[in-house]
Amino acid sequence: MTFYEQKLRSLQSTLYKNQEQIDAIIAVRNDITSKSETDLNLDQLSKTHLISKFHLIRLFKKYYGLTPRQYLINVRIEKSKALLQKRVSVTETCFAVGFTSLGSFSVLFKTRTGKAPAQYRKEQLSRSFLLADRESLKNHHSN
Amino acid sequence: MKVTLISIPVRDQEKALKFYTEKLGFIKKLDNPLGGGNRWLTVVSPEWPDGPELLLEPAPNHFEPSKVYQEALMEAGVPYTQFDVDNVQEEYDRLIGLGVEFSMEPTEMGTWKVAVFNDTCGNNIQLVETL
Repeated sequence: MTFYEQKLRSLQSTLYKNQEQIDAIIAVRNDITSKSETDLNLDQLSKTHLISKFHLIRLFKKYYGLTPRQYLINVRIEKSKALLQKRVSVTETCFAVGFTSLGSFSVLFKTRTGKAPAQYRKEQLSRSFLLADRESLKNHHSN
Repeated sequence: MKVTLISIPVRDQEKALKFYTEKLGFIKKLDNPLGGGNRWLTVVSPEWPDGPELLLEPAPNHFEPSKVYQEALMEAGVPYTQFDVDNVQEEYDRLIGLGVEFSMEPTEMGTWKVAVFNDTCGNNIQLVETL
């Protein structure tokens, strides 16, 4: 066993010794990821996973470094990027990934990607046109 | 300021390019000659072509401390660089099939699963999956 693996294993025995707790919090994360487009809330998560709300927030943050809410927002933003790349409109994207307000979607998107959704969509569009142009040029030359 | 580049020290850039593209599946992005046979050589992930570039740089050949550090990391099995994957076990199986050597098999660590392989250019690389 390498020095690194020894270090990891000793970390595991101190940091990750409560496997039951870890399994519970992994289940919470899977739930958030798979239901991110619904109006998921802390009450539901708490009931489904039989963990008190405050404990759930604390544990989630302990293992993933974010609160469940922050994590849910990140999942939704990632999914919205994929939709915007596929030319779905900003409004449609906003509601499809689970946000209920266009204003908060724009703000959250911008703080995480550095761009407003509309700007991001536009850039992705021009990028895909550019790639398509290059492809057709290539085909033109090879013909 | 933006983070756009991750450096990976390699002994042989051509060999590194082959390993990182043919085995790992990265795509060559830039390849500019820098004189003396050295190249500014970068690759990107096909899943994230706009993401950070990996610079396969020949530092250990030109700067002794880089070589010493790289050797010490290799000896201890320490990965200095890690890549995110959706499924560590699947990637492990795929790479084993391509003859890649692992110093640590897929291992669960709390809310993570990790594995470590040898990139044949002097480095341990860790694969990480969030559970």
